[in-house]
Amino acid sequence: MGQGTPGGMGKQGLPGDRKHDGDKKDKKFEPAAPPSRVGRKQRKQKGPDAAARIPTVTPLSKCRLRLLKLERIKDYLLMEEEFVANQERLRPQEEKNEEDRSKVDDLRGSPMSVGNLEELIDENHAIVSSSVGPEYYVSILSFVDKDQLEPGCAILMHNKVLSVVGLLQDEVDPMVSVMKVEKAPLESYADIGGLDSQIQEIKEAVELPLTHPELYEDIGIRPPKGVILYGEPGTGKTLLAKAVANSTSATFLRVVGSELIQKYLGDGPKLVRELFRVADELSPSIVFIDEIDAVGTKRYDAHSGGEREIQRTMLELLNQLDGFDSRGDVKVILATNRIESLDPALLRPGRIDRKIEFPLPDIKTRRRIFQIHTSRMTLADDVNLEEFVMTKDEFSGADIKAICTEAGLLALRERRMKVTHADFKKAKEKVMFKKKEGVPEGLYM
Amino acid sequence: MVNPSASSAGPDPPKPAAKDPKKKKDEKKDEDLSDEDLALKLQLELYVERVQDADPGVQKLALESMRQEIRTATSSMTSVPKPLKFLRPHYGTLKAYFETMPESDLKKYLADALSVLALTMSAEGERESLKYRLLGSEGDIGSWGHEYVRNLAGEVAQEFAKRQYEDTPLDALMELVQQIVAFHMKHNAEPEAVDLLIEVEDLDLLVEHVDATNYKRACLYLTSSSSYLPSPDDILALDIAFTIYTKFEDYTSALRIALFLDNTQYVKQIYTSTDDLLLKKQFSYIVARHGLVLELDEDIAPDDDDREALQEIVNNVKLSEGYLALARDIEVMEPKSPEDIYKVHLIDGRASASTTLDSARQNLAATFVNAFVNAGFGQDKLMTVPSESSSGSSGTWLFKNKDHGKASATASLGMILLWDVDSGLAQIDKYLHSNDNHVVAGALLGVGIVNCGVKNDCDPAMALLIDYISKEDTIIRIGSILGLGIAYAGSQKDELRIRLSLILGDPKTPLEVLVFSAISLGLVYVGSCNEEIAQSIILALMERADTEPGEPLTRLLIVALGLLYLGKQDSVEATAEVSKTFNDKIRKYADVTLLSLAYAGTGNVLKVQKLLGYCAQHLEKGENYQGPAVLGIALISMAEDLGLEMSIRALERLLQYGEQNIRRAVPLALGLLCISNPKVNVMDTLSRLSHDTDSDVAMASIISLGLIGAGTNNARIAGMLRNLSSYYYKEAAHLFCVRIAQGLVHMGKGLLTLSPYHSDRFLLSPTALAGLVTVLHACLDLKSNILGKYHYMLYILVLAMQPRMLMTVDENLKPLSVPVRVGQAVDVVGQAGRPKTITGFQTHSTPVLLAAGDRAELATEKYYFDRPLIYVPPSSL
Repeated sequence: MGQGTPGGMGKQGLPGDRKHDGDKKDKKFEPAAPPSRVGRKQRKQKGPDAAARIPTVTPLSKCRLRLLKLERIKDYLLMEEEFVANQERLRPQEEKNEEDRSKVDDLRGSPMSVGNLEELIDENHAIVSSSVGPEYYVSILSFVDKDQLEPGCAILMHNKVLSVVGLLQDEVDPMVSVMKVEKAPLESYADIGGLDSQIQEIKEAVELPLTHPELYEDIGIRPPKGVILYGEPGTGKTLLAKAVANSTSATFLRVVGSELIQKYLGDGPKLVRELFRVADELSPSIVFIDEIDAVGTKRYDAHSGGEREIQRTMLELLNQLDGFDSRGDVKVILATNRIESLDPALLRPGRIDRKIEFPLPDIKTRRRIFQIHTSRMTLADDVNLEEFVMTKDEFSGADIKAICTEAGLLALRERRMKVTHADFKKAKEKVMFKKKEGVPEGLYM
Repeated sequence: MVNPSASSAGPDPPKPAAKDPKKKKDEKKDEDLSDEDLALKLQLELYVERVQDADPGVQKLALESMRQEIRTATSSMTSVPKPLKFLRPHYGTLKAYFETMPESDLKKYLADALSVLALTMSAEGERESLKYRLLGSEGDIGSWGHEYVRNLAGEVAQEFAKRQYEDTPLDALMELVQQIVAFHMKHNAEPEAVDLLIEVEDLDLLVEHVDATNYKRACLYLTSSSSYLPSPDDILALDIAFTIYTKFEDYTSALRIALFLDNTQYVKQIYTSTDDLLLKKQFSYIVARHGLVLELDEDIAPDDDDREALQEIVNNVKLSEGYLALARDIEVMEPKSPEDIYKVHLIDGRASASTTLDSARQNLAATFVNAFVNAGFGQDKLMTVPSESSSGSSGTWLFKNKDHGKASATASLGMILLWDVDSGLAQIDKYLHSNDNHVVAGALLGVGIVNCGVKNDCDPAMALLIDYISKEDTIIRIGSILGLGIAYAGSQKDELRIRLSLILGDPKTPLEVLVFSAISLGLVYVGSCNEEIAQSIILALMERADTEPGEPLTRLLIVALGLLYLGKQDSVEATAEVSKTFNDKIRKYADVTLLSLAYAGTGNVLKVQKLLGYCAQHLEKGENYQGPAVLGIALISMAEDLGLEMSIRALERLLQYGEQNIRRAVPLALGLLCISNPKVNVMDTLSRLSHDTDSDVAMASIISLGLIGAGTNNARIAGMLRNLSSYYYKEAAHLFCVRIAQGLVHMGKGLLTLSPYHSDRFLLSPTALAGLVTVLHACLDLKSNILGKYHYMLYILVLAMQPRMLMTVDENLKPLSVPVRVGQAVDVVGQAGRPKTITGFQTHSTPVLLAAGDRAELATEKYYFDRPLIYVPPSSL
């Protein structure tokens, strides 16, 4: 979404739209075509693309009828392509566009100032304000796509007469655009030790509805909308989410719950709305909210404005998860390690249909995790991982990783190229000690 | 034994892509399987070994247990069932052993198992699953689960294609197909069964396998597929659907198909296949809505009284009555004047202040608006006001028009009294004796309009009009000829053919009369492929094209010729060949027009491509065949929703690149595509074009705005048109178009529709389409036709006018109020379970209005329920 080009250029720049020249000399200035609609933008209609959208094809399940229908669409598209190619060959449109564009650029002048549209008065006039100074009553130039103007949107103004010469379409909150995961994380399902049933559940609930909606259609159910991952710290919740992001081709948006808490009143809920709007626009998509307990704690009498604001943010989240507006292909993954403190409304079926627990690894899983982490380490022959696997201490996946890292560091300290069993032993003690350190021992003695 | 594996493997197969990393992992981590997995694995390995044992008893036992394991295995839909996974390494061994095995039952058992294993293991394109299945025991196919059957079906289709190509016997395959189809039909997978049968080109099998529970779904799937299947297959699919419907005695659905196929034989067959008089009445209503002219004979209804009653329904005699009942029910009987429609007070600014001079054209526009708005109501505020003196105020309005305007004004009376033959003719009668030729002509046309779509026993239209067609005066002749054409559209009346052909053959006939005779013949013989008429039109055309080639009216001769072949596809070939010999100037025009009309409503993509090709060419001076080509694209692709939407896209491209003559036709094409169906995006496009600098484009799009909103009272279009009326307040021609459009939008005060499609957008009424096409072709040259002196051609639209009401009557055909749910129709083809067919519904009592894309269903269980437009619930019998 670039800057400044009036949205309807493609359509509005048609030859026929240059009104009032030639044969209608007797008329003085006439009002331009009234916009078909003024005011709030329609959700689904995104500029000229809306017209270009191809019709939806039912049924969703795989069958010959669907194939035939899709083929029919393809036929029409091919014909269109052929026609356009023919026309382009005969009379290139590019030059003409170029010409029109440069004319428009002349009219706009440079530099253009950025302002805010306060109010639309009639088809051709509006009240605008810039960041400094008063509000102005100005005219809207005819080449601006009036369908896209709505009160409150960012516009470009001529630097002298301040008339509206364009609009800024990039309306996605920059806060949201950074949430989009552009580069898939490196962790894949192969990097997860154990958690087989968890992987399966998340696949069923999140990935399959996006890739194979027809399965659900066939059986006649609505796929789950979201899942929550919960469990002790370090059991791989975030890791699994990363693996999902790695393997999916859907848009992956990730947020940390704390990001949703904003400085100003109303910003938090707004961010949530934006987040889901973007997700809807880029659908199919997966929204991952880590540490949801930052905003999702149970409601109680709030004493400070801050707390109330956090609760409002959660209320917005509730609405977005299963509110009045239906979301299309947006799946939600939440993660927390304190599920008991979450608001029950957040977890009701329909919002979050599946709760996936991440337990501390059992012996088999522990073995797998050790294998994963040690597979790239050079181990001395005497290393017996079984000893650690079979231990009674409670390790989380993260602890195991810490032990391996620590052992490696110990070996490095002694300038050895191999990690010995002794290293592991020491490392384990260190990690376990550190882990217990959190609790002042004396308190319970 | 429909076992757990059926339900678990029912959904799709293991996702190979998602599984890949995991599979690799599986192999390397074999050692850390859980205990039960390990046990299973060992068990299976043991079975594999035992299968190769020498002792048949052991073998058999092992095989049995292996089967058991596979069948009972459950797992998630994301992964391969465990037994299959563990047997994977042994697939090769088993295969090898199978080859060495002697022929026996055991071998067959093993083949079965191998067939299932091949499901996940055989390489793409090997079709091993099928191979072993054919070698196997031919037991119950369903016991291995859905996934297996589905896979097998796919392989069968491939194998079939191969064998057919190589000409090898297909019997074994077909036996399997039987099994698969039976299985699918039993398990709610009708689409798959139908798909397979289409693949193996044996749809007839379907008839045996459907039962009362699933025939509806199967037929629905067949009918919706038919519009996308290539040429011979689509008719076949519909034929099968027809057979199935008749088999299950769902005669009304069968009738729809018969009508779609345009097969009178089938229609008669349906009539004769039941003795239920009420059902026959229902049929008659459907036939009447379709506009099919049907003479009921002895076979159909043995009893004379019954036959008469049925024939009355088919003849639409009660249409006016029902329509007025609806109007009274929703309280719109109050006549409206054109001013009520213009709503001048809502327009701010100068236009309202400067009421333009009371020109003849304004009055003419008001006449049309009045006619359209009060169509069928029998009263208005201009023409039928009860008059004190004999000449009356209606006379005064009449004489506010001049010359040919008077003709339209008089004819508007016919529109107001539409369908009401008895009182209509009485009111029009007095104008027949006027001294003014124009008034007489108008009255003649009016008589024709009143009789449109309604057949009366005494044939009053024929009796009144036939004598006038050979009168001296041109306008009287036109009036009577066009009146006959409208009154008898689609009837194929022999008498008319003889009389009108005479006019065509007469070299002294004025061109106008000639053209209207041709059009009338085209309407009367629409879609008949009548060679004789075609010949006489062609002769006339060749003669006149040489002498008066420039006349825009000449082009309508070609349209008339095309109407004879409307929707008849290939039958046009011969005539199209002849048209190649025409005068240069009209040759291409004729070619394109004939093509587009012959394939109208077929959705034939190849023809659309051809027409688009015409549009891509650059024209020599004086050629004008691109307009009909654009209209043709709309005509052909309007058949189904996808084509419709895609061609709206294509038209957008035409606008972008096309030259003026294309741009002029695009709005009309859009108007045809979305007739009486105001889609927002089309509305926006037309609104944009209505301000075009090219006055033809602007006027065409204004008319089209009227067409897409015809009979909907759409407030947005009404608002747009009001704004346009103030925008163009100085331009008489534009303003005329705006007024006409306003009249169309409020047509019948919102009770009518122009859409030629009915019955769930499945059936296309040929006469309605013929009327639309003729008017649109006339609109291609607005200035010389509609804005010239042939404005009365707008009345041809009456052919497409139908009340968009849903009425219910009881067994005595008295209106009966029944609660119905009306809502947006949903495409439920191929969906699981019993999905809702309508969404966002409201409950009303009949009679109710249905908008485009609406569907209704009965809200009570009390009445027998059926699909078509006018329900005849035989009450609670």
